[in-house]
Amino acid sequence: MNLIGRMRPVGGRLRAGLLALSRARLPSPLCGGGWAGRQAGSVGTKSRREGRDILRLVLALALLAALPHPARAAEALVTVQGDNAVEVVDLDAAKVVRRIPVSGSPAGIALSPGRDTAYVTRPDLPGLAVIDLRTDTVTQDLKLPGGPLGIGVDPRAGTVYVADWYAARVLVLRPEGGKLVADGEIAVGQSPSGLAVTPDGATLLVANREADSVSVVDIAARREVARVPVGKHPFGLTLDAEGKRAYTANVTGDDVSVIDVPARREVGRVKTGERPYVVALAGGRGFVTDQYGNSVTAFDLATLKSVGTIDVGDHPEGIGAARDGRHLYVANWGSNTLSVIDAGTLKVVREIPTGDGPRAFGDFLR
Amino acid sequence: MRFMRLAAVAALATVSFTAQAHGPTRQKISESVEIDAPADKVWAVVGNFQDGSWIPVVEKTEGKGGNEPKATRTLTLKGGATVEEELAKYDADKKALMYRINKVDVKTLPVNDYSSNIEVEAEGANKTKVTWRGAFYRGYMNNDPPPDLNDEASKKAVQGLYRAGLDNLKAKVEKGS
Repeated sequence: MNLIGRMRPVGGRLRAGLLALSRARLPSPLCGGGWAGRQAGSVGTKSRREGRDILRLVLALALLAALPHPARAAEALVTVQGDNAVEVVDLDAAKVVRRIPVSGSPAGIALSPGRDTAYVTRPDLPGLAVIDLRTDTVTQDLKLPGGPLGIGVDPRAGTVYVADWYAARVLVLRPEGGKLVADGEIAVGQSPSGLAVTPDGATLLVANREADSVSVVDIAARREVARVPVGKHPFGLTLDAEGKRAYTANVTGDDVSVIDVPARREVGRVKTGERPYVVALAGGRGFVTDQYGNSVTAFDLATLKSVGTIDVGDHPEGIGAARDGRHLYVANWGSNTLSVIDAGTLKVVREIPTGDGPRAFGDFLR
Repeated sequence: MRFMRLAAVAALATVSFTAQAHGPTRQKISESVEIDAPADKVWAVVGNFQDGSWIPVVEKTEGKGGNEPKATRTLTLKGGATVEEELAKYDADKKALMYRINKVDVKTLPVNDYSSNIEVEAEGANKTKVTWRGAFYRGYMNNDPPPDLNDEASKKAVQGLYRAGLDNLKAKVEKGS
């Protein structure tokens, strides 16, 4: 099977798909602020009292906008692969509140810097869906070549990176005029899967499952500048908040590799349960889903020693830490549930039913 | 005899299996049966990892390690194909076990990374429910699978295996053999 030979026609399809979809309109990003702007513009014809009220309102809105997190309920966006949908889970109510149909066995997910847009990979299409989370609608339907699975977003530029599982490249998609446009590709190791961009937007890290390595990509130069050897078959890749350390779940090695990002080398290894999938970080600890163990292994980030094993559902895959860092959410592919883990006590405190085959591989909490 | 029948063996001749990566979409199948017999009696049959004879296509079971995790068995099927399996979990109290296929030709069963759970639940003194669940990737490990090794074909093969196995288990146990 010659993947390279098929890339050109597929790229043509991608461009054709983009053209065909360019008619679909995104809701205006100014919708929310437009109302206040219009009101403020009419102050001159109103009484001074009304003007002051409006001024207060405008200031209040500006303050709201300046807060790091918008005042909305914490949510999980779960790709339910068997049901071809993305489910929105209200984490306080602990239930699925909305469902957005997405064909092509959705698997990977990432969020825009503003966290109001979700990008979802569809390996069986193959392609990607752009979902406006303010309206719960798919606003763009992109065909992509190969096997799009892992996905990550540059938190500064908003550039979307999609790993092609069947090849050795990462596809680059750039936001432009409310749309994603194809912007070439970057060569990495074989079967790239999990990926993440450092908070400064300078470096992209890619776990190469078949190459047992992590590619360090200089985003400005658009090329791989280093390759860090890690354990066997790294799949999920997780960066800490500072972008100093990265963690890969090594599927067939049954361990986690700890990478010093600036030094570009592996600095530690943590034993996990069977077939680790991806790591989440909370409260100074790492939490790894063990697909075959039906468990989550917790370890101390300083000592890199295991601090416990938590039984969860069948075939746990995606895991993420909530905004408050107190709970972790685990997508159990086999049992169709989210397990909620208390990060302090290491106990499962709740099970939330989901659709068929939840994967949530990526950044799925907001 | 095979776990599945291949309609177009010729199509396979051009296919290379050198790639390591599996398809990106894991599949699942779950089948169950209700048996008019006590759970202990049903578990005595399916809970013996070293005897796969309740599965109709199995001719011979050879293995070691009994019912302990990491026990292995080789199933020889009618017709000569073999399946190498390993016990991953075994819980006699819950009457549940999990095993994996370590080695099988995709022409015998078109799956990769196959793992499976069997659970036996008492639903009354003389009524038992058996559930057989499987998780696996399709037979063809790269993009654009041939029809005989795609997701649908792998699901159909596993479902057929589970159905035949569970129906035979019911007949066998209810008959008292």
